[in-house]
Amino acid sequence: MKPIDDFVDRFGTNIRLDESLIVDKQGRYFLLNQKLKKLISEDFFYAGLYLGKMKEGLFFPSFNLLAMIAGSKQANKITVDEKTEWLFIVGRDVFKRGILKASGSKSKGAYTLIMNRHGECLGFGRILCNLDDCKGEHKVVARNVSDIGDFLRRERRFKG
Amino acid sequence: MSGKQFFVDRYSKLGWEHKPVKLRQAIRVNTNNVRETDLVRRLESRGIVLEPIPFLSHAYWIRKSPFSVGATTEYLLGYYSIQEAAAQIPATLFADLEGKIVLDACAAPGGKTVQLADAMHNTGVIIALDVEKRRLTALSNHLERCRVGNTIARHMDARHAARLKIKFDRILLDVPCSGNFAADEEWFQRRTIKDIERNATLQREILKEAAGVLNDEGELVYSTCSLEPEENELNIDWAISHLDLQTEPIVCQGESSPTKVLGIQLDSSVENCRRLWPKLTQGFFVCKLRKGGFSVETD
Repeated sequence: MKPIDDFVDRFGTNIRLDESLIVDKQGRYFLLNQKLKKLISEDFFYAGLYLGKMKEGLFFPSFNLLAMIAGSKQANKITVDEKTEWLFIVGRDVFKRGILKASGSKSKGAYTLIMNRHGECLGFGRILCNLDDCKGEHKVVARNVSDIGDFLRRERRFKG
Repeated sequence: MSGKQFFVDRYSKLGWEHKPVKLRQAIRVNTNNVRETDLVRRLESRGIVLEPIPFLSHAYWIRKSPFSVGATTEYLLGYYSIQEAAAQIPATLFADLEGKIVLDACAAPGGKTVQLADAMHNTGVIIALDVEKRRLTALSNHLERCRVGNTIARHMDARHAARLKIKFDRILLDVPCSGNFAADEEWFQRRTIKDIERNATLQREILKEAAGVLNDEGELVYSTCSLEPEENELNIDWAISHLDLQTEPIVCQGESSPTKVLGIQLDSSVENCRRLWPKLTQGFFVCKLRKGGFSVETD
């Protein structure tokens, strides 16, 4: 599926998904398995693993998809410390001082997964300056694009 | 026929003296996503004090937490769900879930759906229905957070489940109910016997539809968080006499249901149902059913 492949490509890697098991439900993509595929009908609301959605020409990945990309060794990743992890999941950007490790592309403009010390994917961001050249510990080096705190924000919307 | 005294008198006739209770927050570990010991260690390192729930597996009460347990990284990664202790019981009553085709007929917001998927190790298929589209969005959020991959959620009234043209190996009927005072401080002010009768009628309609889509060898678990016999023992007695369903003995928290309620003598097998009066948990009722003639020996 092109939108998914294009998105994954931005992280400097690729993942293999069986296209015959991916369904497109009005711009929302779901990965099924063979058993689900046999029982699915057109009017489902949600099925299998949600991969993401296309909206106004942009692809919005699910956290399942980000976790799949994180399984690739080549993918661009920034590992952050505990304090930065907390800040990131409430929607904040990443400061240079919070970075423990970076792998893959460190160049300005690259998309990168944001990982915690346990190797868990917290979301993704966009690198704002070349990480190796960037001066200043207090400088924002990766802008938060999407973080798992979104689950909480959605829950609050349902309750509200 | 409403008001606190009316209901409290009914509970007294069922053998329970009303006492106010304060519910404790509980969590359930999603064992597909994390090793339980690792999760406990991580939560404790954040200052969260956990107490294992003695009558459940992978479940803990929160004794103390410096912040909301619904806002930790571990929660957001789907390592655990916040799920009241009694509400964790129904999904544990199925004999075997792996690889099965399961119907979660009134699924939103999805706590039990995720629990079923965890017990199934994401094998088989769960068809999760809910009549309210808005609640399906909450269900989907829950499924995504907990990385459930074996579920199809559909916007459908459980009373129309036969339209799916699927026979199910396992059916969970956690039916819409009147709730109970332990989970709702204003419950006594808000509920009348008419509400309860209306819910009981709806529950029978759902039970009837579910019996029709259950495999001959299948298992059906019925549960409510109501304390009212119309929604519980009386409905099960009706299912036994009208739907050719039989109760099965179950081992879980709670006491055997009475077989005489509101002056009505019920089928003796209704005693296989379990009634949880509010104390350690909210009020709850649960029962396991099979089709007549397909009883399975238990240890």
